[in-house]
Amino acid sequence: MSALPTPKPRWPLRLARRAVSPALFDFWATRFNPLWTLEQPLARLVSRTSASRDAVTLVLRPNAHWAGIRAGQHVSVGVTIGGRRLIRSYSPTVLDDGNLAITVKAIPGGVVSQHLVRDARIGEVVSLDAAFGDMTLDEADAPLLLLAAGSGITPMRALLRDLAAQGMPGNVDLFYWARHHDEFCFTGELKALAAAHPRLRVHFLATREGDAPAARVDAMSFDTVTALHERRAVACGPAGFVEAARSRLRGTVARFDAEAFSLPAPTAVDEAGDVEVYLTRSGRTLTLSRNQSLLEGLEAQGVRPAHGCRMGICNSCACERQSGTTRHLLTGDRSSEPSTQVRLCVSAPGTDLILDL
Amino acid sequence: MSHTRNRPLSAADLDAFGEELDAIRARVQADIGPRDARYIRRVVAGVRWTGVTGRALLFLGAFVHATLVPAWILGTLLLALSKILENMELGHNVMHGQYDWMNDPKLNGKTYEWDIVATGDNWRKTHNVQHHTYTNVRGMDDDIGYGLLRIFPEQRWRPFYLMQPLIAVVFALLFQWGVALQDLRIGRWLAGRMQPGELREAFRPVMRKVGKQVLKDYIVFPLLAGPFFLPVLLGNVVANGIRNLWTYTVIFCGHFTANAEIFPKEVVQNESRGHWYLRQLRGSSNLTGGKLMNVLTGNLSHQIEHHFYPDLPANRYAEIAVDVKRICVRYGQHYNTGSMPRQFGQVIWRILRHALPSRPRVLRTGEAIA
Ligand code: FES
Repeated sequence: MSALPTPKPRWPLRLARRAVSPALFDFWATRFNPLWTLEQPLARLVSRTSASRDAVTLVLRPNAHWAGIRAGQHVSVGVTIGGRRLIRSYSPTVLDDGNLAITVKAIPGGVVSQHLVRDARIGEVVSLDAAFGDMTLDEADAPLLLLAAGSGITPMRALLRDLAAQGMPGNVDLFYWARHHDEFCFTGELKALAAAHPRLRVHFLATREGDAPAARVDAMSFDTVTALHERRAVACGPAGFVEAARSRLRGTVARFDAEAFSLPAPTAVDEAGDVEVYLTRSGRTLTLSRNQSLLEGLEAQGVRPAHGCRMGICNSCACERQSGTTRHLLTGDRSSEPSTQVRLCVSAPGTDLILDL
Repeated sequence: MSHTRNRPLSAADLDAFGEELDAIRARVQADIGPRDARYIRRVVAGVRWTGVTGRALLFLGAFVHATLVPAWILGTLLLALSKILENMELGHNVMHGQYDWMNDPKLNGKTYEWDIVATGDNWRKTHNVQHHTYTNVRGMDDDIGYGLLRIFPEQRWRPFYLMQPLIAVVFALLFQWGVALQDLRIGRWLAGRMQPGELREAFRPVMRKVGKQVLKDYIVFPLLAGPFFLPVLLGNVVANGIRNLWTYTVIFCGHFTANAEIFPKEVVQNESRGHWYLRQLRGSSNLTGGKLMNVLTGNLSHQIEHHFYPDLPANRYAEIAVDVKRICVRYGQHYNTGSMPRQFGQVIWRILRHALPSRPRVLRTGEAIA
C-alpha cells in the first residue's frame, strides 16, 4: 500500500509554487526556520533516548509536507554527513502528537547508524521521502504471527500499537529474537501491552544467553501458537533471518509476508561472474556480467539507457543505484551507498543491483 | 599560426600520459567530501545574496531619487555578478554532475535549471555531450564558431564571413540567446533539411523557458517598481548584457586562442584515452588571474583541467592544475595559459583574420598527433 494522499495545499503555498522555484524559496525560508520548504518533506530531531545497550530512539518532528504513514510501513530518512545526504529506511512509530519515533541500532561500520546513535544533535534536520512498504494490516482481526530479529522489531512495534489502539481484535503472537537480553528494545512497552491485552503474547528469545539459549527461527517449534495454519505470518529482520523464517513456515501458515533489511555490503567484491540487476521502472530483472560496464551489459540485453560520451564525462547516463555495489571502471573504487547516482558507462556491477531505470 | 612545438608521442607514451592523468582523477575522487560541499553551498549563498542586494538597490534607486545613479550602477553590477556566478560557477558545474555525490536534489546535474534563457536540457546535450566528447572536432563540436563564425582556417570560407567582425559583437551582446538557439539548428531548417513540425517541437521547451526569463527580468520586477518601471527594466537588461559579454569572453578564451587546434572527424574513431586527453589539452586554453578569476569564470580559467575532468568538483581544478602542468612538461606538451587580455586578444585576431580567406598551415612532419 502506498502513502496517504497529500492534502491539497492552502492557496498561499499554491501561489508561491507558481511564482518561485523550490531552490529560491527554500534558500530564504530555511534562513528563518530550517523546516520551511516549498515541497520537500523534512523533519527535525527533537529528542534522543537510549532504547537498549546499542540503540537509541529518536523523535522526529516532520514539516507540513509529510504525507503520513501507515503502521508497518517504512520511510527513507536522508541524513547529511560530510556534505553527502545518505539515505536509510526506518520503520517509524507515529506518536500521538504526530511526531515520528525511529529506533536505530549502531551497526559496526555503519556511517549513518553510528552518526544517529552517537553524534546527531537535537535540532538537526533530515529529509523524508514518501512512506512505502507492504507490511500493513488490511483486516485488523486476522490472527497474526509476528517474527522479528534485531531492528526488525520496529515495524512490529508500530503494528502492535496500531492494533492496541483498536483493542487488539485478533490473536497475536510476537516472537522477538536478539543475541543478548540487553539488546532487546521496547521490553517495558511490549510487556505492558501484553499485560493489557490477553490476546497478545510476546516471546523474547535470546540466542546467546546463559545455559539455555533460545532456539533460532529455523529450529523453533511454534507449538504454543494456537491455530498456526490460520495465521498470517509477518517477518522482519536481516535477509538471512527472513529466508530461514520463510522456509520454516512454508505450508504451515495461511500467508507469509516479510521485509528484509540488508546489512553493510562486503568490501571485497568479485570481478568475475554474473549478477542479477533489477530495473525498477520497467520491472525487468536481467543477468549481467561483472566484467562489463552496466551500459554495455544493458544494451546487450536490449535495454537502451540514455547516454552520450560512453566514457564517464558527460553524465547523460547517470542513474540512481538504489541498492547493491558497483565498481568504477576507471578508478576501481567500490561504492555501496544506497540511493546514489552512478554513471552506467563507467560502472560495472559488483553485487546484485537495483537501478532506477 | 601555432608557435608551439609539442613532442610527438608514441602510442605507449600516450597510454602512460593517460594513466597519469587518470591517477589524478582517482586521487581527487577519493578525497571529495565536506570541503567541496561547503564550497558549493557558499556559491549558492553568494548567488542569492548578490541577487537580492542587486535587485534591492535597483528599487532603492527608483524610489529614492537622490540615490538613483549610484544605486542603479551598483545594483546592476551586483545583479550581473549574481547571474555570472549562477551561470558559471553554480549552473555550469552542477549541470556537469560535479556535485551529484552530495545527493541534494537541488544540486542534481540532470535536473538543475539555470538563470538564463537557454534550457538546461539543451545545454546538457550540446555542451556536456557534444562539446565535451568531441571537443574541437570539426562537424561534431557545435561550439566551433557556433555555426556563425569562422575561427579556424579549416572551416570553409564563404563571403558571409566578411561580416563576422560585426556579427561577433552582436553575438557577444546577445550570447544567452545564441546559446538558447544553438541546439535548434535553425540553419538546418533554413537549408530545408528539417521539417517545420520538428522545429516547432524543439522550440516549445525553449519558448517556455524564454517566457519565464522575460517575465521575471523584464516584466515582473520592473512592474514592482510601478512608475519607476524604466530604470529597473534597464538595470535588468544591462545586467543580462554584462553577463553575456563576460561569459562569451571566457568561453571564447577557452578554445579559440592562437594555439588552439581543431581536428578532423577521423580522430575520434578508436581514439585511445591518452589521445582523448591530448586532444582536450590541444584544444583548450587557461586563464591566469588567481582566485577571483577562478570564481568569476566558474573555474573555466582552468579550461584544460575542466576538459580533462568535467565531472570533478570545479573548486578542485586549481590544485589539480599543479600536477597537470607538471605532467604536461614531462611529456613535452604545451600547456596553454595566459592573461585574459592576451588570450582574448588572440581570439579577436582569429575573428578578424579568418573573416578573410585563409588556408590551414601545413603541419610539419611529426607534429600531427598520431
Ligand atoms: S555516457 Fe557520458 S557519462 Fe556515461
